[in-house]
Amino acid sequence: MTTATATRPAAVSIELDDVSITLGGRPILEKISLAVPAGEFLSIIGASGSGKTTLLRLIAGLWQPTAGAVRVAGSLVAAPSRDVAIVFQDYGRALLPWRTAAGNVSLALEAMGVPKSERADRIHALLTKVGLGSHAEKYPTQLSGGMQQRLQIARALAQGASILLMDEPFGALDALTRQALQDELLLLAADTKATIVFITHDLEEALYLGDRIVALGSNPGRVITDVPVALPRPRHQLATREHPNFVALRRQLFDVIEGLHA
Amino acid sequence: MIRARALGLFRALAVPVTVLVLYELWFRLTGQDSDTLAPPSAAFSAFLEAVRDGTLATATGQTFASLLSGLAIGGGLGLASGLVIGFSRRADDASFLAIEMLRPIPSVALLPLALMIFGFGYRMEIFVVAFATFWPFLILTQSAVRQVEPRLIEVSRILGLKPLSAARDIVLPAAAPRLMTALRLGTGIALVVAVTCEIASNPQGLGHALMLSQETLRPARMWAFLFWIGAIGLTLNLSLLRLERWLFAHRGDYDASVAT
Amino acid sequence: MTRSPPAVRFGLGIAGVVVLGLAWHLATTLQLVPRVFLPSPEATWKALQRGLSVGDMANQFGGTVQRMLLGWLLASIVAIAIGSLIGISPLARAYLRPTLGFLRALPASATIPIAIALVGLSPTMVLAVVTFGSIWPTLLATVQGFAMVEPRLIEVSRALHMSRLAFIWKIGLPNALPDILTGMRLSMTVALILAVIGEMLAAQSGLGQAILLAARSFRTPDLYAGIVLLGLIGAVSSYGLQLVERRLLRWKSH
Repeated sequence: MTTATATRPAAVSIELDDVSITLGGRPILEKISLAVPAGEFLSIIGASGSGKTTLLRLIAGLWQPTAGAVRVAGSLVAAPSRDVAIVFQDYGRALLPWRTAAGNVSLALEAMGVPKSERADRIHALLTKVGLGSHAEKYPTQLSGGMQQRLQIARALAQGASILLMDEPFGALDALTRQALQDELLLLAADTKATIVFITHDLEEALYLGDRIVALGSNPGRVITDVPVALPRPRHQLATREHPNFVALRRQLFDVIEGLHA
Repeated sequence: MIRARALGLFRALAVPVTVLVLYELWFRLTGQDSDTLAPPSAAFSAFLEAVRDGTLATATGQTFASLLSGLAIGGGLGLASGLVIGFSRRADDASFLAIEMLRPIPSVALLPLALMIFGFGYRMEIFVVAFATFWPFLILTQSAVRQVEPRLIEVSRILGLKPLSAARDIVLPAAAPRLMTALRLGTGIALVVAVTCEIASNPQGLGHALMLSQETLRPARMWAFLFWIGAIGLTLNLSLLRLERWLFAHRGDYDASVAT
Repeated sequence: MTRSPPAVRFGLGIAGVVVLGLAWHLATTLQLVPRVFLPSPEATWKALQRGLSVGDMANQFGGTVQRMLLGWLLASIVAIAIGSLIGISPLARAYLRPTLGFLRALPASATIPIAIALVGLSPTMVLAVVTFGSIWPTLLATVQGFAMVEPRLIEVSRALHMSRLAFIWKIGLPNALPDILTGMRLSMTVALILAVIGEMLAAQSGLGQAILLAARSFRTPDLYAGIVLLGLIGAVSSYGLQLVERRLLRWKSH
């Protein structure tokens, strides 16, 4: 493993213990209990408004639950920490428009106090890792949607986090770019052994990527289903989707999702 | 591209130039001789005369001295205060009523006060210009800080940026385009207020030169100075607009078409 | 940043004003600033009471308000009328907008010497200056509002064979209304400033002249009383217009 990634495979896990949150008088999440072992790729699906984004913000420590406890690596989450990175769906708003791609990655390293002499190499390594090696001096507006999202991932990796939270990261991208990024993400996941919580509304994407799927109901958000995804790794865009388990899980969960949208 | 620009320039100048030419012709043909009106040609020669005898330069220098000093003081204080009430919700709460009470006071209302305290001269004008420029800077700086993309604030929290680093690396660059706009608008206001002070009482600067020309029944000179003041205002605005575009055009968050 | 609950916000706001008032009081009681430059709050209040009851301030207040409103109203009517005519024609806009922009940037007070030259130091001069100066913000805003009419609506009006006037009245003006109202608010500020300066220069009965005379004879409490009244005019006119704006623009989703 290169020094550029600096993630530590450790017994890190996420624990949600009867977590509820009410915002503006409305209950968004109710009694969510979840345990995510280290290194797992957890896919979360649910209808819009089911509080999926809220869940991520709770794990990240950006918001606090009204009841219950959120724990990361055993300790209570009271504030954001560098160990938990978020990749937002609206990448255009999450990147600094006045810094180049290299500058955006650099922000994470600067925040960590990495000395200037070390930064250049690590930035280059990270950008190359996400396939942006030759675009280091471009501004976000000069990059395509897929490239901007890769840049966000690069910054998240630069953070050195062992937990990666992704909020429908590929939702705003076209199908081809989405597939390419899915596979790249799987490679990164295998390489860094990070714990990943991936939110999507796309059932097939959730199955394709995850080790486990959790379906959230809405109004208020509750765990409806929690099943492991028994599919071989490495995943393959065609082969995996034709695997009998894939089809079976898809059918099983399709009904659940239908029920959620009813 | 160049053709479009040339067309734009032609259209911009067509009407004013035509009006001036017609006006000139009317003057020549009817043989007017007036204490109040002057043909463009006379205004132009009066302009050259003012350049030659140094009065234009002197007056411009005086107005600019007051303009820049007042802008620096009022704008600086407004910027600092705007940062405070932008960052601190408590400060904003404590001050908003007081601001709403003091802000509506027209700057000219302070003119007699300034006159009484400082007498004629630079200090009186700087005082009024500073007061006038303080408010736009205060309001615009506050909104610039408030309107930083919330997603970026979350990013700064997740990355664990310390408050000072967050301010330097996230808030200020994000607010910079709006702060530049505040500077551009503030400069325009400073010019108007400075000239107004000179017209209303202060015996120095371009406004005074304008009034003096009228009082001494030299209409051509009056029109020359009027045009010069307009030209300065236009140049200041356009140059600052250029600067804004050059600084921020490459960013995704700057809307070049919004700037007026 | 989230907002504080209204109770907290107003509580702190009033506290802020009170602190400011106390500071003013202390500054004068402790003679930190010479009395002649900063009268005490009490002296200002007394001067205000006196001026409004037995003095001439009520008249002067009325004079300034009258001048400001009259000029502003005239200016608004002219500005909207001309602005509409220019606004509906893309050609007219292309030819005139740069010139209008230049004229708008010109300090309105710079027209005073010309007005004096043409009309002399008279009430007419002041009204002319107030009107002329107040035209520009509203005029430009009207043109801008018309320029931004959704092209789809223009096509609809053509399909319906609407006359120029009908288009202006039914489509153009309602569309331009938000911009026009903002322009009118700006024009009001300009009108007040020009009314005050006009009064100062042409020695017309109004708050402008009142505070100038007060300053000349070092009657500072009267000066400050005048400033307070001018601030009041500015505040009331601005908020009044904002209320009207909110009323008229209720259909707009913010």
